[in-house]
Amino acid sequence: MGQQLINKEHITHKRSMKAFIRKHIGWLFIIVSVLAIGLFYFYPMIEAFLLSFQSGAGASLKYVGFDNWMRLFGDPSFLAALINTSIYLLVQVPVMIVLALIFSVLLNDPTLKFRGFFRTAIFLPCVTSLVAYSVIFKYLFGVDGIVNHFLLNVGAISESINFLADPIWAKIIIILAITWRWTGYNMIFYLSSLQNVDHSIYEAARIDGANAFQQFFQITIPLLKPIILFTSITSTIGTLQLFDEVMNITQGGPGNATLSISQYIYNLSFEYTPDFGYAATVSYVIVILIVFLSIIQFKVAGDKK
Amino acid sequence: MKKYVWIVLMSIGWLVLVACSSGEETNNSSNEGTTEYEETNAITAWAWDPAFNIAALEHAKEAYSGDYDVVIVENAQDDIIQKLNTGLSSGTTKGMPNIVLIEDYRAQSFLQAYPDAFHPLTDVINTDEFADYKTATTSLDGKQYGVPFDSGVAGLYVRTDFLEEAGYTVEDVSNITWAEYIEIGKDVKEATGKNMLTLDPNDLGQIRMMMQSNGSWYVKEDGSTPHISENESLKKAFEVYKGMMDADIAKIVSDWSQFVGAFNSGDVASVPTGNWITPSVKQAAEQSGKWAVVPIPRLDMEGAVNASNLGGSSWYVLNVEGKEQAADFLANTFGSNVELYQTLVQEVGAVGTYSPATEGDAYAVEDEFFGGEQIVSKFSEWTDDIPGVNYGQHTYAIEDIIVTGMQDYLNGTELSQVLENAQSQAEAQLK
Repeated sequence: MGQQLINKEHITHKRSMKAFIRKHIGWLFIIVSVLAIGLFYFYPMIEAFLLSFQSGAGASLKYVGFDNWMRLFGDPSFLAALINTSIYLLVQVPVMIVLALIFSVLLNDPTLKFRGFFRTAIFLPCVTSLVAYSVIFKYLFGVDGIVNHFLLNVGAISESINFLADPIWAKIIIILAITWRWTGYNMIFYLSSLQNVDHSIYEAARIDGANAFQQFFQITIPLLKPIILFTSITSTIGTLQLFDEVMNITQGGPGNATLSISQYIYNLSFEYTPDFGYAATVSYVIVILIVFLSIIQFKVAGDKK
Repeated sequence: MKKYVWIVLMSIGWLVLVACSSGEETNNSSNEGTTEYEETNAITAWAWDPAFNIAALEHAKEAYSGDYDVVIVENAQDDIIQKLNTGLSSGTTKGMPNIVLIEDYRAQSFLQAYPDAFHPLTDVINTDEFADYKTATTSLDGKQYGVPFDSGVAGLYVRTDFLEEAGYTVEDVSNITWAEYIEIGKDVKEATGKNMLTLDPNDLGQIRMMMQSNGSWYVKEDGSTPHISENESLKKAFEVYKGMMDADIAKIVSDWSQFVGAFNSGDVASVPTGNWITPSVKQAAEQSGKWAVVPIPRLDMEGAVNASNLGGSSWYVLNVEGKEQAADFLANTFGSNVELYQTLVQEVGAVGTYSPATEGDAYAVEDEFFGGEQIVSKFSEWTDDIPGVNYGQHTYAIEDIIVTGMQDYLNGTELSQVLENAQSQAEAQLK
């Protein structure tokens, strides 16, 4: 009797072990990547968050409570960077998304000749290095640059425009540059999802008498909605983190006219006497903005579930 | 079939690439945990300009007779600043050099932000033998940390042919005020159509030079209190700057290559800047004999002198393994070697601030490019007159504020208002 009981217990124990292993074996497979992500993503994020409550020059950091966060509101350079970045965001992202949509619809037309060539041409900017293209833009729009030469020769202007020394022009150049670089990238997303759209939908619409505009607004846009959401979120994030272009084309100038938040973080860490604490605070502002804007975009354009 | 051959060939090529690069990595990783010095028994030195400070290091290495080998590493200046900041603030000495070149405007920032990171050189060099203004910026709390390298002594480079066309001689532009300079600039522009100088709205080097010629800076003597709204020299410098813009004698540039391009192509009649521009001016060999160097103009106010400084840098020894050896290297080269300084002047065009060296032959050489003038000895003469100022640790932070202020001022805002805004902004930012 006793022997049997023990055996039974042993068996149930064994069975529960098996169940336990079966249930949790998945963890074993992902434990390495979980640890790695924890170590290289979450640990630095927490450290940076703690850092944002410290201030001081270089290695002599001290906890200062919410001083850094209060300092943000009275810091004209930060506010200038925030306003500039918002302008880039509000002007550039919609323009780029619309352009990318138009290009992708045009290029999706099967009757268009040299489609492959145009697709490559519009996508190609994407594979160029950020620094390389920024420098080229800088020289294109220099006082003796090719754009000024062209405008002078066709008689559109009587004197060279110093694009990069004018606060408004400088912003426009930055926006032009980012749009040139990223439109093709977004266009590819639209193109690929357009190719999954059944042609019969358009055919049916045509039979019902819908013109091209109606087809675009009533069929193409609703079908592309998830992709539009995706591209606008990634573009928003990209614009909030804007650095290379500003750094290389204008260095934030003239004055603070083109300064982006990321470049301000760079300045605080490496250009001035380093204050890594305050720089971390500013970088957390970007995090908050991205989270906030992404939530809004989901609410506006996402599925209401 | 052809396709497969290609794929195989491509993968082999890829593998070879990967194998080669990973080979290098293993070499590097063997250094882990030890400083370069322990590993190789050689001291490393970082600098940024192959034509200037790197070349100077090479000559110093040649002149050095000690037992230690010196490895010279070229890094962009921005990279050096980033590597120092990240390395020193994380507290690791791995991969740090023994000797590093730091721009004088940034020196106090590093010395104060990272106490104990630099090795004091008070006993290694004789500070009395170097220009006063230079030792002031390279020391902290009475301890000397830097070995001065090049002088940033400023001069006014002028095109004598353009001046002649406008009816001026070299004497007419010597020891003048900035107000007189603008008047001459107008006449030169009228006669030749050339601008008098270049200005870069993002780089207020001109303002810095003007301020220092009157012994003043963005900060007070303590090196940390912003000195803007009540700074008469800065106010005057702003007026001069606007005067140049209003008189339409300045060509606007937005980077270094445009700046150099302007005088190399003969677009401007003068270049007021540091003496380190000499090699760049001489690049345009066909302009030989058409240039002259005169003292930098002064601000039109009491106490201002016709001497100032722009830029310049110094050598520092990091407090890591091999610091004694590094200090020994500097002491026997840039710290005392008169011969080396002659080589530097002749071969590199670098004017030092080591006074015993100025007696040497190289300093007295007549330069045909500048009409046979002894420009090096002229520069070292002016070096003695440069008013010493404490650059403090906020030069670039304040300058970014001032750059914005300058834009406002040029666009019509009242000057006192602009400077007061800048003052309160600087006070808020520099805590």
